[in-house]
Amino acid sequence: MAAILVFSERDEVAFQLLGEANKLGEQLGMEVAAAALGLSDADGFLSRGVSTVYTAKNEELKDFEASVYAQALEQVAKQADAAIILLGSTRRGKELAGRLAQKMKVGSLTDAGRLEVIDGRVVCSRNAFGGATVAAQTILEGIQVIAVSPSAGEAPAAAEPSGSVAEVALVLEPARIKKVATAPKSQDSANIEGAEVLVCVGKGLAGEAELKMVDELAQALGGLVACTKPLATDEKWLPEERIVGLSGKIGKPALAICLGISGQVQFTVGIRDAGTIVAVNTDQNAFIFQMADYGIVGDLHQVVPELTAALKG
Amino acid sequence: MDKFDVIIVGAGLAGLSAAYVLAKEGIEVVIIERGDYPGAKNVTGGRLYVNPVRQYLPDIWDDAPLERHVTNEMVTMMSPDNSVSMRFRSDKFDQKPYHSYTVLRATFDRWLAAQAEKAGAMLVTKNRVDDVIKEQGKVIGVVTAGEELGADVVVACDGVLSFVAEKAGMIVPGQPRNFAVGLKEVIELPRTTLEDRFGLTGDEGVAQMFMGSLTQGRFGGGFLYTNKASVSLGMVVGIRDLIERKPGVEVHLLLDEFKERPEIVPLIKGGEPVEYSAHVIPEGGLAGLTPLFGDGILVAGDAAGFSLNMGITVRGMEFAIASGVMAARAIIEARAKNDFSASTLSCYQQFLENSFVMKDFRTFQHTPHVLDNSRFYGYYPQFAGKLLEDLYTVDSGPKAKISDTIRKNLSLGESLRMGKDLLGGLKI
Amino acid sequence: MNIYVCVKQTVDLQQVRIRKETREPVLDGVPLTIGNIDKNALEEGVRLRDKLGGKVIGVSAGSEELNDTIKEALAMGADEAIMIIAPELEGAESSTVAMALAKAIEKTGEIGIILLGEGSSDNYSGQVGPRIAEILDLPQITYVSSLEAEGNTVKAVRNLEDCFETVEAEMPVVVSVVSEINEPRIPAVTQILKAGRKPKQIYSPAELGVEIAGSQIKTISNLAPEQDRKRLLFQEGVGQDVKSLVAALESEGLLGR
Ligand SMILES: Cc1cc2nc3c(=O)[nH]c(=O)nc-3n(C[C@H](O)[C@H](O)[C@H](O)COP(=O)(O)OP(=O)(O)OC[C@H]3O[C@@H](n4cnc5c(N)ncnc54)[C@H](O)[C@@H]3O)c2cc1C
Ligand SMILES: Cc1cc2nc3c(=O)[nH]c(=O)nc-3n(C[C@H](O)[C@H](O)[C@H](O)COP(=O)(O)OP(=O)(O)OC[C@H]3O[C@@H](n4cnc5c(N)ncnc54)[C@H](O)[C@@H]3O)c2cc1C
Ligand SMILES: Nc1ncnc2c1ncn2[C@@H]1O[C@H](COP(=O)(O)O)[C@@H](O)[C@H]1O
Repeated sequence: MAAILVFSERDEVAFQLLGEANKLGEQLGMEVAAAALGLSDADGFLSRGVSTVYTAKNEELKDFEASVYAQALEQVAKQADAAIILLGSTRRGKELAGRLAQKMKVGSLTDAGRLEVIDGRVVCSRNAFGGATVAAQTILEGIQVIAVSPSAGEAPAAAEPSGSVAEVALVLEPARIKKVATAPKSQDSANIEGAEVLVCVGKGLAGEAELKMVDELAQALGGLVACTKPLATDEKWLPEERIVGLSGKIGKPALAICLGISGQVQFTVGIRDAGTIVAVNTDQNAFIFQMADYGIVGDLHQVVPELTAALKG
Repeated sequence: MDKFDVIIVGAGLAGLSAAYVLAKEGIEVVIIERGDYPGAKNVTGGRLYVNPVRQYLPDIWDDAPLERHVTNEMVTMMSPDNSVSMRFRSDKFDQKPYHSYTVLRATFDRWLAAQAEKAGAMLVTKNRVDDVIKEQGKVIGVVTAGEELGADVVVACDGVLSFVAEKAGMIVPGQPRNFAVGLKEVIELPRTTLEDRFGLTGDEGVAQMFMGSLTQGRFGGGFLYTNKASVSLGMVVGIRDLIERKPGVEVHLLLDEFKERPEIVPLIKGGEPVEYSAHVIPEGGLAGLTPLFGDGILVAGDAAGFSLNMGITVRGMEFAIASGVMAARAIIEARAKNDFSASTLSCYQQFLENSFVMKDFRTFQHTPHVLDNSRFYGYYPQFAGKLLEDLYTVDSGPKAKISDTIRKNLSLGESLRMGKDLLGGLKI
Repeated sequence: MNIYVCVKQTVDLQQVRIRKETREPVLDGVPLTIGNIDKNALEEGVRLRDKLGGKVIGVSAGSEELNDTIKEALAMGADEAIMIIAPELEGAESSTVAMALAKAIEKTGEIGIILLGEGSSDNYSGQVGPRIAEILDLPQITYVSSLEAEGNTVKAVRNLEDCFETVEAEMPVVVSVVSEINEPRIPAVTQILKAGRKPKQIYSPAELGVEIAGSQIKTISNLAPEQDRKRLLFQEGVGQDVKSLVAALESEGLLGR
């Protein structure tokens, strides 16, 4: 029976993919298989409804390197008779998708949000034009390599394992990239995607010290501080997990307050599902006002303390 | 300092026309434009008469991306609560070569720039000219983004209130009297809706002028042009009137009110505004022209003041094209002598004198004065409206004879003044 | 040594308008430009060339208009440009584009580094780079935020979700960069003017032996999501505005959660 093969270099992402895979499997009458390569935990997959977990013991799989994993997955996919390969749309996962799809000479889609089945093929919705539009796209022929956004699905709860484990013997060319060092990022536990209130700041902020005032506002509202990309990647005032937008998190808060943010599409895509949007900007022609419910044309340095005071008072 | 044959400041119609002709001659020409791309910010109402300029750029008109050829001319006189319209359609206007087209500058200028570049001109966008370099009174180059660029001749085509001509010491900043302000919106409509609504077939187009209460007695008027799938709607108001007349009013509010008129609402209903622009228009007529040439410099298009406000319409594009081409011709002549002094470049003025440009400017030299008569913008439209309203109104009583109706509406004193205005008006 | 930089021509996203009635993006007449992050890739290529010597060659696949757009890359410091031009290449799917780019690069000669952006402005799929690496059988380092080269070795820091990873590889190598790697220069006027005279090579897909078959990827629809915002602007001075805002949020039940 044709299968849906699930893989991610991060188990928690792979588990989330299983939620989507199980739904697709039901609709398409395909079984769900998973590749537990490297350090992956085969039991975790078995307890989440996977019928076959493919494992492999191979020195080359010790560290994740996309070109090596692409070889491995191509071989596993053959064994599993995979018709659909679901990967996590992480940075590593996107690279893997490209390598793998090119190896197999098939189409690939990345950053897939919602998945649907139409005429026996998977239709993915994904942002286009920087997030200005949402495209529904499908791979017309052959194996479908789809990298799904980590936030798109929910992991099925662990239950009694039912499937089986199949060990595959892999022939792998070694990596040509040498890992020299890894510096873990400080893990930020803020859950931007689940926050009810987001206070987003942008380059209108003049210095790191001003984050204090923003924090106070967020606290008064019971919300989280998030930011535009340059504030995290260029200024490094906030961790990258706080970035909202195309290359960051997609929020769905009841209220989003945007302070000193111009409102380019790559950012607004991250808050467009917000219930209510408030914008504060000195420039009355800023794009952000186009998609705000309430706007204050003014300096955030005056508005923020005043607003905090008003909320507390 | 890198040196080129010619530097043109401003990629509007004047600058691009000059560049096109120069590049075709194999002359090394650089155009510097501050906008993101040619046509990005250039404002025009939207009607171009091709006949006067056909010969100046003979090879471009067949492929040029023009919108619609105008076959329907309309005039509407507006009073606060009524209006009189006249529509004139002629088969003659529907015969090739068409004499008048509607244009969208964002499309047309970009295309013309591409033609100039194909011919070898070098276009630099997103760069503003910040200064003019002079040596012993002679212009020898410009400064842009901190870089100095040299040239035998600099052509100021930077539009109204020319910064380059001012920096070169050719003009002193103008009086408010010499300018009008123009506002325009482009409103998109599906092509079929537009054609049905305006009664047009194929690429036929309509040009509609509005005068009367829309400017609230101020010097100016409104216009509407149909493009392929949009209409250009706007108005022009004299700056002096705008400043001096009480109560004061903001122009954009006048445009908003104009758009709410029952004559306009159905025309733009369901349309999507896609472009909004405001621009100053030189309208000093002959007296408002700047000096046209100097040592190492020529001035063309709006920069020189080549725009005629005919009250309800503005003519500037043909003058921009023609003056740009003649500036190029003057440069070609100067190169032959290898002399770029004012005296050699003065042939530019000669070329202009012999062309429709200066002829039109002389013909219309009194226009600003005649049009500066508020009766054109208030009284006459009201008179016409009242007259027709009376004529068409069927009251319960017996209908008055037509001559009585006219007499009721027009006193003797008024008739005399009207005659005088009309005599003045004949000069337009 | 040749440093190839793949740059994609896309519409200027900031000028793409959404048609209200249909929610379709209006692309007609929108000026074309080079992708944002591709400019970072180009900047990095120029920086490496200035250090290592050799040439920076801009490579792009797209429509006829590329002739114009590519000047931006040349003005920013590329020495030469290769264009693969066919109407079907504009917005083509990543496998076709990658094949065209790879073949053109292969044909041009010795490869040192092939640089790309992490994702293109309009599609942002991050697929072209890995596909080129696979076609040319080269190692690839993706999402690079800092890059150094010494002799034949490149050393790069990758910015990944959970860590910064420092890696090394031998040239030839494919590298994709993230935007924080550098600040792309704004070209000087004299550079823009010189760009027009730099060498340009144009290929058709056929000349490269690239077949543009029917697309494997079908776009069923591409619309802006529905947005219905109130767009109320408070402009009465900060004190009053804050009061109005608090009142509005209160009435929507958004406060005191
Ligand atoms: C492929 C790609 C992906 C991207 N992904 C993301 C993403 O996920 N998230 C993201 O955010 N960006 C992303 N970007 C970047 C994005 O294009 C913009 O550059 C970024 O969002 C701009 O951030 P900003 O609004 O903070 O800065 P700016 O655009 O510089 O805006 C600052 C604003 O602050 C206002 N301001 C200044 N001073 C004050 C004051 N005192 N008070 C009030 N207002 C003030 C200004 O008027 C201005 O509007 C991406 C770009 C690309 C090319
Ligand atoms: C509302 C309105 C309606 C009109 N209607 C009509 C009409 O229907 N028919 C008609 O024929 N005419 C009309 N005109 C007049 C006509 O549009 C102008 O006469 C014509 O555009 C002039 O062309 P130009 O090339 O001289 O100047 P512009 O088109 O103004 O071009 C000047 C260029 O120079 C650039 N520039 C300026 N300063 C600098 C600098 N320092 N450095 C670099 N670049 C610079 C500008 O960005 C611009 O692109 C109308 C004008 C207005 C405002
Ligand atoms: N048509 C193209 N021409 C040249 N380079 C391209 C093209 N399409 C994509 N690229 C390069 O590939 C990168 C990733 O694009 P994408 O895979 O579309 O996200 C871009 O940042 C470019 O460097």
